[in-house]
Amino acid sequence: MSTITISNLRKLYGRIPAVDGFSLEIPSASVFGLLGPNGAGKTTTFKCMLGLARPTGGEILYDGKRLVPETFERIAYIPERSVLYDWMTVEEHVEMMRRAFRSFDAARAFELLATFDIDKRRRARALSKGMRTAVMVALAFARNAEILVLDEPTGGLDPVNQRHVLSLMINEAAKGNSVVFSSHQIGQVERAAEHIAVMDHGRLVMQGVVDDLKADRKIVEGVFPDVSFTLDGITSDARVARADRTERIVRLLVTGGADEIAARLSSAGAHGVRVLDLNLEDIFLYAVSPATATTDVVAKDISS
Amino acid sequence: MNYVEWLRVRNLLRIVAIVLAILVVLAVALRISVARYMSPDTWVHESMSRPGVKVSHTTLPDGTPRTILNDPAESTYAIIDDHGYAGKHIVITEPSSKAHKENTHVSIGSIEVKESRNGAMTTTVIDTNGAVPMLYYMMLADFVALIVATVLAAPLAREADGHLEVTLTKPVPRARYALGAIGADVVGIVAASFLTVLALYFCQVLFESARLDFTGINSRAILMGLACPLAWYAMLCAATTLLHRSYIWVLVFTPAIAIVVGALTLITPTSVVALFIHDVAWVISRLDPLAYVSVPQPDEHGQLDYNGSSFFLRLSLQVLFFVVYSALAIWKWQRVEA
Repeated sequence: MSTITISNLRKLYGRIPAVDGFSLEIPSASVFGLLGPNGAGKTTTFKCMLGLARPTGGEILYDGKRLVPETFERIAYIPERSVLYDWMTVEEHVEMMRRAFRSFDAARAFELLATFDIDKRRRARALSKGMRTAVMVALAFARNAEILVLDEPTGGLDPVNQRHVLSLMINEAAKGNSVVFSSHQIGQVERAAEHIAVMDHGRLVMQGVVDDLKADRKIVEGVFPDVSFTLDGITSDARVARADRTERIVRLLVTGGADEIAARLSSAGAHGVRVLDLNLEDIFLYAVSPATATTDVVAKDISS
Repeated sequence: MNYVEWLRVRNLLRIVAIVLAILVVLAVALRISVARYMSPDTWVHESMSRPGVKVSHTTLPDGTPRTILNDPAESTYAIIDDHGYAGKHIVITEPSSKAHKENTHVSIGSIEVKESRNGAMTTTVIDTNGAVPMLYYMMLADFVALIVATVLAAPLAREADGHLEVTLTKPVPRARYALGAIGADVVGIVAASFLTVLALYFCQVLFESARLDFTGINSRAILMGLACPLAWYAMLCAATTLLHRSYIWVLVFTPAIAIVVGALTLITPTSVVALFIHDVAWVISRLDPLAYVSVPQPDEHGQLDYNGSSFFLRLSLQVLFFVVYSALAIWKWQRVEA
């Protein structure tokens, strides 16, 4: 049972901030999804968490303690890209892990490799991208680690194996271990993660329990008879996180009181007003994408 | 923890073993093809069986069996003293021919031949199975070890080239990992040297009973032959640690650069430019362990020897280079980021 605490993490490459004041608490015994567009700083955050990159500032604690080499006995990591040794066989990779980690279960690794239909005698250079990912997944999940840090763990895998990896992640959380993973496939995150955090430009823009985020956030949509209308008093409501207006249509992202705001929108002259549920993809896009409307846009910090 | 480096060493030693095995096979083929001609023992036996040759056997006071051959038809007279494992001492007196030269002295492996022409007669003294200086073995072993050292010399850069996420997430301090990797390579370099000596020894025993001389200059050659490749390895290791893919170029070009710099130090400073080039090259060459390897020179008795007074200084510098360059590599490795 491990909790990871990231406090005010900063990482500069030259003068460019890859991670900028990022703070997060990753609870134990859960699957935690880290989302963000390309270049948001997810991989850099993982590297800082694992000591692969030296943070410019901030602190990362595992159960209140700093990372030391011995901590890696408890952490399994799948990097974004293949780090297998081309000239080594899959079997030799298993042996490498067996020698490096006391808790590594070689039998479990071979069992997982068989599930992915990987021939252990093949050299890594002969494996496809998906197969390489599968090997790294097998090696990580045979570690019996308390913390699994997985950077795009399903990259290149077919849908069947993607689902298998998600099952493995959920099983690990059920065993009391922490799984932190990033993915561009929001459907996967929605399926596997209980908690998510969204990063953009190195900053945390939203975090929470997936179900709560979905329950709290609604879209209130209305259509006005003509383009000359005002939203006075509505967009200034603290519960309206964002307002997008396109021609006669207005869409309000609200973090509470959806029915009340819908009523106010009707009073303002809108017809066909409706309250829509959001899926995780909508929440993510609202969190990271700029406002799309051309006029009268009020874009607020969605995490507020 | 350094399983990957051990695999690299194993794979390279496998290649070295294959090359040396080819050398041994060639030696076997040569041995078979020259079986009829090569051995002085063969000549003795053939001479004894020739018709008209008188053979007598005696024992010298020290117990050495002596065989005397007298071939009146050929006017040839030979005395063969058999010293057992220490070889045979053969003195042949025969009529001079065009093949005989004035006072020659030839050593082929453990066989030493001295020929002196005295008018119409020539005396040939053959000593077989003399001690072979380890120096000769070490010269080739050193060459092989330097190649192996150059190939292995980027263990940390190889990890930095796409594998840091594996290497640096093992439960071992970085310094200990680096020490382990360097240690594995050191074992590989020494093993390559040993395998070469073993192969050469095997080649020699195909032709004669091998006696190796480990004394004097030979023990020094062994020490220098082990220390120099290790110091060279450590230098390349330190030079490549922070490099990713480009470490390959360092490994490829450094030997050539070392040769060029070494050659430039030999420039006779006849002009200001030449003096400048010479001095710059000399300063750079001081960082190169190979610059401290001296070629043995004959002493006043004609025996090969290193410059005795500076040998231990040179050896100490090799050890120092190994330690300092290794420490530098480990220090740099602590700063590597993925």
